[in-house]
Amino acid sequence: MSEPTTPALELKGLSKAYGKFTALHAVDLTIRPGEIFALLGPNGAGKTTLIGSVCGLVKKSAGTMKVFGKDLDVDPTGPRYQVGLVPQEINFDPFFSVAESLRIQQGYYGQPRDDARIDEVLTALNLQAKKDSLTRALSGGMKRRLLIAKALVHRPKLVFLDEPTAGVDVELRRDLWTYVKKIASEGTTIVLTTHYLEEAEELADRVGIINEGKLLMTEDKAALLRRFGEKRLVVTFSEPQAAMPAAGARFAASLSADGRTLTYVERDNCAPSGELLRSLYADGLPISEVETRRSRLEDVLIEILRGRPSQAA
Amino acid sequence: MNVLGMQTLFAKEVRRFMRVPGQTVLSPLISTTLYFIVFGYSISGRVHEVEGHPYLHFIVPGLVFLGIANNAFLNSSSSLFITKIQGTVVDLLVAPLGPGELMVGFIGGAMVRGLVVGLLTWIVAAVFSGFSLEHPLATLYFLMLSSYVFSVLGMLAAVWAEKFEQINFFPTFVMLPLTFLGGVFYSVRELPSPWNHISLFNPMVYMVEGLRYGMLGSSLFSPLVGGAILALTAAVATGVTYAVLRSGYKMKA
Repeated sequence: MSEPTTPALELKGLSKAYGKFTALHAVDLTIRPGEIFALLGPNGAGKTTLIGSVCGLVKKSAGTMKVFGKDLDVDPTGPRYQVGLVPQEINFDPFFSVAESLRIQQGYYGQPRDDARIDEVLTALNLQAKKDSLTRALSGGMKRRLLIAKALVHRPKLVFLDEPTAGVDVELRRDLWTYVKKIASEGTTIVLTTHYLEEAEELADRVGIINEGKLLMTEDKAALLRRFGEKRLVVTFSEPQAAMPAAGARFAASLSADGRTLTYVERDNCAPSGELLRSLYADGLPISEVETRRSRLEDVLIEILRGRPSQAA
Repeated sequence: MNVLGMQTLFAKEVRRFMRVPGQTVLSPLISTTLYFIVFGYSISGRVHEVEGHPYLHFIVPGLVFLGIANNAFLNSSSSLFITKIQGTVVDLLVAPLGPGELMVGFIGGAMVRGLVVGLLTWIVAAVFSGFSLEHPLATLYFLMLSSYVFSVLGMLAAVWAEKFEQINFFPTFVMLPLTFLGGVFYSVRELPSPWNHISLFNPMVYMVEGLRYGMLGSSLFSPLVGGAILALTAAVATGVTYAVLRSGYKMKA
């Protein structure tokens, strides 16, 4: 299948300054249609400013932004028919019910009333029972669900989820993940920011890391985990070892001071930890416990933000 | 142009104030009616005619104008300001709604509220003083354009304001003095000097007199002056509001 050539989002030299403070430094970023892209970084890194610039909430200082090939400087509103945003802050209009809020949202995007679509989104987000409730009567988690429903009800092709599950229960998180995967499989492009790196790990095809307004890197999630991640094998012996076992020495493992624990860190291009384990068993060592732990995206993000240059591309 | 988006915003604005009719329609109607009863009956016993009209008749156009101006302004200013405060302005900014669509939606909704209150005031006044409509087209012009101008000004105030105190600044410190000193309850010609001359710089005077011409058939000034001032104010306010919204001033970070 040939890949579509027009990016869903293309940023070139996107900058934003608030007086002397620069929130975004000439960010170049291309998001492919249909992918789930996770933009990660600490608080104040520039994630929300970047999203806000594209969504018309922030006035950029410099650079160009194209949504599905259309320059927002040339046509500031046309491309927005294709965009949906779940903002970080909860907002709601207390005068209207859940269904009315969604009908209004459809209208804003030039779409006629479509109750079937409203029911579909409400069902997917487990909000159907509250369809006729006033928004002010919803709990915090329900309001968050409504925000997500509002962002999706007009079937946008490019959706920004700015910390969509902040402060919500596990159930919503799972509901949202399932729905995000579904709409992504149908061709919707998703740009996600989250502090729950488990969320990015679960959903993202590609990851971008931003800090202090600079986009440090973008990479395929699996490749990033392979390149920056590590697998840690910890073998506990039932009897202390006086010296590093020969197999451990071959694999450059480390032995604890008490001789009871051998640790091997497997990184990209290193020998697999399974080989070491086989050698240890073959040598007849008294192994009582084996534990392995693979790096998660969280570990990788911390590594990159701390600047692990040796592993950088 | 996003016609459906514009219609949706307009319908939402109308529904919003109709959800609380006691606050948005009944309350101003009662206030204006009380003005009519208290001022009309207390003064009409001593002042029988003003500018050739019975006093009760004379104050009707000014009170209708007051109802329209206050409510048109309050609707657009409070609605947009609250949208900013509660964060739902995000929905409007992300959606494909340009400055023109936003203006039509907010101003249209505010005009409806201003006109509803103004027309209800007129109906209540007609019960007390009888109905008078001498120049229907002129009346329509002044009703529509007054509600338009104050809706636009309300929107502009909401864009500028960042605190509730600021949003109350215009109605309290600008509109209230100008309308009360704008010949609603008296003829500015009868004011002592220099106030009669100073009043000529108050644009509200011409708007009230214009409506008085339409409803009662005569006024201190040519209705063309009031009509031109309204049209000019409408044009300038529209241009400024459009430019301000387009620039993102105090709406976008």
